[in-house]
Amino acid sequence: MDLERLAGVIRDARARIEAASDLDELSAAESETLGRRSEIAVARSGIGRLAPDRRRDVGRAINEAVGTLTAAVEDRRSALQAEAENVLLEQDRIDLTLPYGRPARGTHHLLTRTMEDVCDVFRAIGYEVAEGPELELAWYNFDALNTPPTHPSRFESDTMYVEPFDDRERSGPDELLLRTQTSPMQARFMEKNPPPVYVVVPGRVFRTDTWDATHSPVFHQIEGLAVDSDITFGDLKGTLAYFAREFFGVSARTRFVPHFFPFTEPSAEMLVWFNDEWLEMLGCGMVDPNVFEAVGYDPAEVTGFAFGMGVERLAMVRHGITDIRHFYDSDLRVLGQFR
Amino acid sequence: MKVPIGWLADFIDLPTRDPYELERILVSLGHEVEGIEEFGPSFEGVVVGRVEEARPHPDADRIRFCRVDDGTATRDVVCGAWNFEAGAVIAYARAGSRLGTDTDQPLEVGSRKIRGIVSHGMFASARELGLGDDHDGIMVLNDLGAATDDDLGRPLEEVIGLGDVVLDVSITTNRGDCMGIRGLARELAAYWEIPLRDISPSFPTGPEPSAFEVSINDVEACPRFVAHQVDDVRIGPSPLWMQLRLLAIGQRPISNVVDVSNYVMWELGHPIHTFDAEAISGGKVIIRRAEEGERLETLDGVERPLAAGDILVTDPSGPIALAGVMGGASTEVSAKTTSVLVEAANWHPPSILSTSWRLGLRSEASARFERGVDPNLSALATARTVELVAMTSGGMPRSGAVDCYPIPRRPWTVDLTARDVSRLLGPAPSFGDALALLERLGFGSDRDGRSARVTVPTHRSDVTRPADLVEEIARLHGYDRFPDLVRHGSRGGLTPEQLAVRRLREALVGAGLTEAQTLSFIGQDDLDALGLPLEDPRRVTIRVKNPLREEEAILRTTLLPGLMGAMSRNVARGMKSVRLFETGRVFTARDDPEDPRIPFQPVHLAMVLSGSGEDAFAATGLVDLMARVTDRKLELRQESLPGLHPGRGAVVTCGTTEIGMVGELHPAAVRKFGLEGRIAVAEMDLGPLVSGNPPWMLEDVSAYPPMVFDLAFVLADTVPAGRLLEVVEESAGPYLESLELFDEFRGGSIPDAHRSLAVRITLRAMDHTISDGEAAPIGRGIAAAVADRLGGVLRGSI
Repeated sequence: MDLERLAGVIRDARARIEAASDLDELSAAESETLGRRSEIAVARSGIGRLAPDRRRDVGRAINEAVGTLTAAVEDRRSALQAEAENVLLEQDRIDLTLPYGRPARGTHHLLTRTMEDVCDVFRAIGYEVAEGPELELAWYNFDALNTPPTHPSRFESDTMYVEPFDDRERSGPDELLLRTQTSPMQARFMEKNPPPVYVVVPGRVFRTDTWDATHSPVFHQIEGLAVDSDITFGDLKGTLAYFAREFFGVSARTRFVPHFFPFTEPSAEMLVWFNDEWLEMLGCGMVDPNVFEAVGYDPAEVTGFAFGMGVERLAMVRHGITDIRHFYDSDLRVLGQFR
Repeated sequence: MKVPIGWLADFIDLPTRDPYELERILVSLGHEVEGIEEFGPSFEGVVVGRVEEARPHPDADRIRFCRVDDGTATRDVVCGAWNFEAGAVIAYARAGSRLGTDTDQPLEVGSRKIRGIVSHGMFASARELGLGDDHDGIMVLNDLGAATDDDLGRPLEEVIGLGDVVLDVSITTNRGDCMGIRGLARELAAYWEIPLRDISPSFPTGPEPSAFEVSINDVEACPRFVAHQVDDVRIGPSPLWMQLRLLAIGQRPISNVVDVSNYVMWELGHPIHTFDAEAISGGKVIIRRAEEGERLETLDGVERPLAAGDILVTDPSGPIALAGVMGGASTEVSAKTTSVLVEAANWHPPSILSTSWRLGLRSEASARFERGVDPNLSALATARTVELVAMTSGGMPRSGAVDCYPIPRRPWTVDLTARDVSRLLGPAPSFGDALALLERLGFGSDRDGRSARVTVPTHRSDVTRPADLVEEIARLHGYDRFPDLVRHGSRGGLTPEQLAVRRLREALVGAGLTEAQTLSFIGQDDLDALGLPLEDPRRVTIRVKNPLREEEAILRTTLLPGLMGAMSRNVARGMKSVRLFETGRVFTARDDPEDPRIPFQPVHLAMVLSGSGEDAFAATGLVDLMARVTDRKLELRQESLPGLHPGRGAVVTCGTTEIGMVGELHPAAVRKFGLEGRIAVAEMDLGPLVSGNPPWMLEDVSAYPPMVFDLAFVLADTVPAGRLLEVVEESAGPYLESLELFDEFRGGSIPDAHRSLAVRITLRAMDHTISDGEAAPIGRGIAAAVADRLGGVLRGSI
């Protein structure tokens, strides 16, 4: 075969390959153009019969032709395979906006989340988290906290007591009550741990309050206590202002005004500027020396601050909730909004 | 306490009357301002007029025809009131004026024909003007000392001085001294460093001293009793200026003597009681504690049983007043009273508190006595009352008061050191500045270097220790002026238990459960609804002594009733699928092992699941999830459990400890909670589940392929699948990587009461590929163990 003829064969073969419209046609074309009985194969087998001076040129030309056509077949094959797959994929089309296969996820209760948030803010500056009993001795809830025996907060109109349930006589400081505040853990914690103390105490508390939009017989508080050899009123202010910024946002402003609690002296209330108004957010103060004495600390050696905040109030303010009953009704339409 | 700004100005020259600035200052001193309101007129266009003529209406008996001068003209008015004559200066609501402008439906006053005569407007009563309850006649301003002929035509609100702004101040329980206008003025005077303009009552006196003998049987109950008699009293209305101040603070004007008592209480913070002196028998007043069984009719007409410990004012015939709480009916000042005994006494605060709460008689007076009143104020309060009673009733005071004050309260001292101040407040204010602040508040100080002896004024009974003085210093210095320092501790971690509880909650929420918080109270009905037998430990409960409702009278021993209630409410609202969990304390009647003084209150976790596909397996699957999260081996021991479906319940054990149960609620219990269908539940004690684990260690993984094969066994139905898995696990040898039960089959060639269970076993070695030849004896060993221990027959061969 002369080289001119070879060029024609290649051109024709290439056309056949590229004209193949499916894989079967391509196989036929491959066999016709490159198979054993193809013109090129025949020519290749005839190389040995050529004059020695032409063998080399013709041989190289034929080899190149085989390479070219083989590549053309592979290209075409890839293209046809892709086309065939595209057809299958098109048949496999689905509507991804159909809401199938969504993994279930519930929600945390907002009060739990809020308590964790508050605890984490204080953990970040080295306060540990402790919890205490809900059914508590009057001693820890009142006496150890410098609350006089006649104080109205001890009355049954404020505090829930329990009926005798065994043969033990419980009266005065030994009487059992549902704690009205998380503050009893102040005394319990100090009894068990020598100073310094840096702790926050989240938990459930109880009052004889009938239900309305802002009152519930069961609610939650977070207590905080820092006791060391050199704590001053400025530490109280700065630490709680830090909390307010972390919890309500970096721009939260705070204001401290005098107040009265039996277990702190001086006492204060912290107001937070939120949604264009000053809101009473928590009570705090320097731990009263009588509290230190009640738990066996020497009031001449240590000072400290304590604070207590209502978890429901924090959550209601931060999330625009106006009815405390939402927390306890377990309505999934409400719980589902907690994030 | 309502504080009219104009009233404060009686005692101090206010640098500002801006209510918001006053609010800011009071709040900075610890006196919260809960509201600001104006005590203004509720009328428009009412002027002072003078009645020129008043004669019977020609065509009606009960009304009169009048002519009134309103300063510009004389007009005709028809009036139904008869409490005035020509010459009276009255409140004239002209045609076009409006009354009741603070209500939804103000009255437009017009000209209208009454029995043939056109009445141009009307004469107004106090009630029509929003100035009290009096509607027996019109307001006669000259009788009330409120207006004269010179005021004709002037707007009424201007003439009588309406428009004061009233601050509603909340006084903390430690500050009885601020329960009066004078006390708050004293605080403001200290703030501004200006003098307090105190009152010094004066009045004429008759020749005779007060004809009463006072004896105090219990000095703790009554540290001081001051009484002063005023004769020739004429009971009538108090002057309008006094009535307006009482109205501004929300007190109803009643009569001159009663109004004066209230006025002085508000002004000085010292409650006053007045007796009809002639109704006291024997000229003798005895102060003593009540005895059990005594009774007293109080001036509200209620006969009240007294308790031992109540403090009484008595005369030789018996009790005449419940001290500090309410007067007695027999000695009440009435319209016929002509001689009044004014009492300013000091009572034991806890006794007053206990009596007033027991009887539900909390009043402005008891609120002051509960906080404590300075006994040294009693003489001034008596004198001020006598002065105003004499002024408003024409009465003549006796020549002197009876003052029984066995142990006068004297100022006390507190030793304060510079360190007391600086260790609580830091470097500022300096000790010198601190003492100066105390002096502004009326404390005396005698400084000796780094310490001082501070004298406390007797109205500050709340101040007895250095810390109390430090609060006073900080308060007046200004809380805003202290620095903000962030105080760091040294332990910010969670305990392993706290961490485990958080991870459990995360896992359950991730598994699609929603966390609920339910009340800690349940009712007897809840325990009955669960079908718990009498001996069930959850029936050993603690009852609340003073529950809000009987359905909430018991402290919960299980979380299930709360969650079932939540489920019922959600289903009633149309929720198809409800998956809830809760963690919370339950209450046992056993002693807490760590503090045997209190009952043990373990933290439980419970869940309830209902809806399509929710059955016992959903709950056991979640128990398994909890086991994986806490890295515990939890096992199920299926048995018939109280409250649960007899064939679908199991005890959950952790090691040798039973920690709870899982399964489906008994259909009877489901119905009791108003529900239907399957409800899967689980409840566990979290304690054993979350106690600390040592850190887990990574196990190396193999580079060789696994050998996987399936074995199926025919087993009696009595063999739990869990047992099969246990036996396979124990007999599979060291190469066992995982084990899965993938098929349960009944029928076909399987005998009755039997089933086929198929397990897929994956073996893998760390150091070689396990061949078929190596796996076959392992499979045979498993089959032998299952046959031997469970009676299982291998299907097919190995």
